[in-house]
Amino acid sequence: MFAYYLQLGIRSLKRNPMLTTLMVMAIGFGVAASMITYSVFRAVSGNPIPDKSSQLFVPQIDSWGPQQNEMGEPPGAFSYIDAMAVIKAHQATRQTLLYPVMLSALPHDANSIPVSVNGYAVTGDFFPMFEVPFQYGNGWSASDDDNRAPDVVLTAEFNQRMFGGANTVGREITLSGHDYRIVGVAKHWDPSPRFYAVWSDSAFQDPPDFYVLLNRALDLKTDSSGRNSCRGNLTFAGWDQWLQSNCVWLMPWVELDTSSDVARYRRFLEGYAADQQHVGRFAWPANVRLRDVMAWLDQMKVVPPESRISMVVASCFFLICLVNTIGLLLAKFMRRAGEIGVRRALGATRHEIYAQYLVEAAAVGLAGGGLGLLLTAVGMSGVGLLFDADIAKLAHLDFSLVGLTLIVAIFATVAAAFYPAWRAAQVQPAWQLKSN
Amino acid sequence: MLKMTHLSKVYRTEVVETYALRDFNIDVKEGEFVAVTGPSGSGKTTFLTIAGLLETFTGGEYHLDGIEVSQLNDNARSKIRNEKIGFIFQAFNLIPDLNVFDNVEVPLRYRGMKAPERKERIMGALDRVGLASRAKHYPAELSGGQQQRVAIARALAGSPRLLLADEPTGNLDTQMARGVLELLEEIHREGATIVMVTHDPELAARAQRNVHIIDGQVVDLAEDPRFHTAYTAAAGQIRS
Amino acid sequence: MQIHPIIVALRRHKAGTLLIALQIALTLAIVCNALFIIHQRLSHLSEPSGIDEANLFVVTNLWGEQYSTDEAAAKIQQDLAALRQLPGVDNVTPADSYPLRGGGWDNFITLKPEQVSMTTDASVYTGDEHFLRTLGVKLIAGRDFHADEVQNMGLRQNFVPPVTIISKALADKLYPNGDALGKPFYSMSDKPTTIIGIVERLHRADVSTWSAPYANESLIWPIRMAQPWGVFYIVHTKPGQLDEAMREAPKALYAENRMRMISSKDGVRSFAQIRHLAFESDRGMAVLMSIICVVLLAITGAGIVGLTSFWVGQRRRQIGVRRALGATHRDILHYFLTENFLISLAGVAIGVLLTFGLNLWLVERFEMQFLPLAYVLGGMVILLLLGQGAVFAPALRASRVPPVEATRPA
Repeated sequence: MFAYYLQLGIRSLKRNPMLTTLMVMAIGFGVAASMITYSVFRAVSGNPIPDKSSQLFVPQIDSWGPQQNEMGEPPGAFSYIDAMAVIKAHQATRQTLLYPVMLSALPHDANSIPVSVNGYAVTGDFFPMFEVPFQYGNGWSASDDDNRAPDVVLTAEFNQRMFGGANTVGREITLSGHDYRIVGVAKHWDPSPRFYAVWSDSAFQDPPDFYVLLNRALDLKTDSSGRNSCRGNLTFAGWDQWLQSNCVWLMPWVELDTSSDVARYRRFLEGYAADQQHVGRFAWPANVRLRDVMAWLDQMKVVPPESRISMVVASCFFLICLVNTIGLLLAKFMRRAGEIGVRRALGATRHEIYAQYLVEAAAVGLAGGGLGLLLTAVGMSGVGLLFDADIAKLAHLDFSLVGLTLIVAIFATVAAAFYPAWRAAQVQPAWQLKSN
Repeated sequence: MLKMTHLSKVYRTEVVETYALRDFNIDVKEGEFVAVTGPSGSGKTTFLTIAGLLETFTGGEYHLDGIEVSQLNDNARSKIRNEKIGFIFQAFNLIPDLNVFDNVEVPLRYRGMKAPERKERIMGALDRVGLASRAKHYPAELSGGQQQRVAIARALAGSPRLLLADEPTGNLDTQMARGVLELLEEIHREGATIVMVTHDPELAARAQRNVHIIDGQVVDLAEDPRFHTAYTAAAGQIRS
Repeated sequence: MQIHPIIVALRRHKAGTLLIALQIALTLAIVCNALFIIHQRLSHLSEPSGIDEANLFVVTNLWGEQYSTDEAAAKIQQDLAALRQLPGVDNVTPADSYPLRGGGWDNFITLKPEQVSMTTDASVYTGDEHFLRTLGVKLIAGRDFHADEVQNMGLRQNFVPPVTIISKALADKLYPNGDALGKPFYSMSDKPTTIIGIVERLHRADVSTWSAPYANESLIWPIRMAQPWGVFYIVHTKPGQLDEAMREAPKALYAENRMRMISSKDGVRSFAQIRHLAFESDRGMAVLMSIICVVLLAITGAGIVGLTSFWVGQRRRQIGVRRALGATHRDILHYFLTENFLISLAGVAIGVLLTFGLNLWLVERFEMQFLPLAYVLGGMVILLLLGQGAVFAPALRASRVPPVEATRPA
């Protein structure tokens, strides 16, 4: 029966090429607009570390107070004082601090000029807690952190550029005039959005080149290349005073495996903040937060408003296209009221008429989906014109998007056809073709 | 009232020319009730559409109420249809989206008549056909006879000089047909000119005068042998 | 004309009428809001910066070695001398930021030292005595910096110079009576800084929406940034020599000292490129919304054409009867135009509610502004015209239905 309905549907679609083209175009444009904007949204709103996102948390402590914090919200990073205190307390399974740095590297041939390289100053737990995969060697130990060792982990891409991809573990590299010992080379690892540094950096920039040992970077007065946010009257006049200021710039992360761990850690943060009030450093009651990865990305508004707005507008656009399709299907089906009457007279049940027209609609949906796919593919190549280059490059047409495009097109069209097909099925049996 | 002389109507396709009417002559006087009869395809309906200014003709002359209509443009023809002619169709042709009152109102609207006068005329016309109580009903809620009476009311509402009826009882059963016919006779007695196309000899017999069309021409019933065979055959079919 | 019977007839075609009205309503909501977004984005990306963009470029110069403050200051002087020697170069100034850079240094500004909540927020530029002249900023009151007022600032040093030049927007915010010149203010310090000059306009370094309430509020401190990471050189060229100077500048700098990093990709940027990059997402948004508007109007128009054509086809006989009963071409044409006008009017009425609803949501969710009434009125006119335009062809076809259609067998 399905094949017969399909045959009838296609014949009917061919009979009204104008109306059919209109419907196919409406569905095609609607689904393409939705899919293009969705592909961008999907790229920026995805979970960057799905298997661990609910165990990784950002602690926040209000070190600015109710008059200077961000509308009651504690700052999104730690001052040096709080960062050091919290990390030394070791209250989580794993914990790290990090800040972005920009250094120079000198490629090995003699006449070369230095190149600028970007990375992060991190503590040893960074690698196991974020599950950074290694090609050679490993991260560094807690004792290396304590000994302020000149350790560095290179990314595979940087190792390739500098050393042709050789196993460089144990070798030295000079960055901004200081020597570092390579302890590991990380395999390609670039979670997107870059959840661990969103407070400071763009969530979608180029992958980093290296990770240096945080204490060593601090010893060398390696400045943050990212955000530094301060409040009130600033009295510092150099690096060491700056470290003691209320400026926040170090991004903390902790790993907490169970909900009781989370509750315990929250109590620890509250206790720490309360202690600071007791000793007179904070003149306000404890105000802390502990957010997991997805909550943090949400809080940091990682998804650009442009992406959300354009997805909403594109969805409304699709909705209008569907309303349009309902109207056109109604016109198309009811134009054949006479034919339906005869079919009914010849023994077709309401149900069969209903099925026939839904199948016809599905054919329109499939054609619309095909056109939508084509337009989506064209649109994807133009995404660079519509969104920031960093974001546009993340959007791509993959198998799941192709499937989604077709499925959405077919389902939406069939859904749009429910009412027109129902109307068609209501036509009374008749012995003759009648207009009106 | 209605005078056609040497009128012809030709339908042209790429390959053939078909004469629907040829050297067609008819003269209907004011106040007459004329029945136009003839077999299927004889040109009855063509005559009626031309008489009603629904279509143009190819050659000859047509005077309606003293006006030569062949040179009139579409707007003028619309105006004449609206003011001088009332139509009664075989299939009633009421507008299904409008109720009885609004259907009868249609020609008056096009005449640009003021609302109170329209209402008076509509109710008068509906009274005349005995359907004043059904003013709010939709055509689908009425019987065939009632629908045709609404169509007659619509034709009468504008006080036309000429009523053109195309098989007015063709879609009705005997009893309803009789009612409609009596209504037409009554309207005629009150002074209206009626031209009715039918192929029902019984119906035709009720008219003052019969005009017979065969192959697009008016013929004398007694003299034309073609008529005898065709017409009696058709009449016989209907009777049996 | 005959509005009542049209409405009566429409009541018998509820589904079709409702669908067209709904489509018009939704289209109005989207088109109004999209047009407003387009307008906002376009006006954002065409904001004047107050500087001589046509003849300016910026060199992002990163040091290849970690320099102390004094070393960096000395290197900068050498570089400035090298750049000034270039034939196309008119003037150069070292800076740690520039207008439209996207991000940068901003400070809270207060009128009293003990004040906790800020009066406003200003974008902070550091510049020497060449800053104003190099950027081509117009000084409208007071004076420029003297060379001896300019101090070096190194890594995480923090001091507030005693004098400052500010933009008119900031001056007006701090001293609305227009007497800002010579007055002090405080900037995250208990030491005041005195306004010695006011410039007509200087765009902030950032282009983000959070700073919209502080638009064009900028201050310049007489500071020469000597940071360990590097410095921006803002270069003003002689007319018509921008491209040439942009090619020569990095060569001259590398010739002066090899231990530096000027990215071959984006190390040297003209202000045209900087502006293009700064407003990339605004332009993208405007383009996307424009495409959606155009396609949407086309699809809605086509939908009306389709449905009306169907109605005309369905009502051929009815039209024939009307013609037989005396309707002229014009009457039939008017019938369909009026019918569409009534449906569109209803659609537009619902659409106004949807439009404001969507706008309200955007305001709440995305800190957009309230839609001006003019956009709604404009949108309504566009859609009513679209409806009339779309219905015209089918209506014309309807008016050509011959009256003889009434006599065709059923």
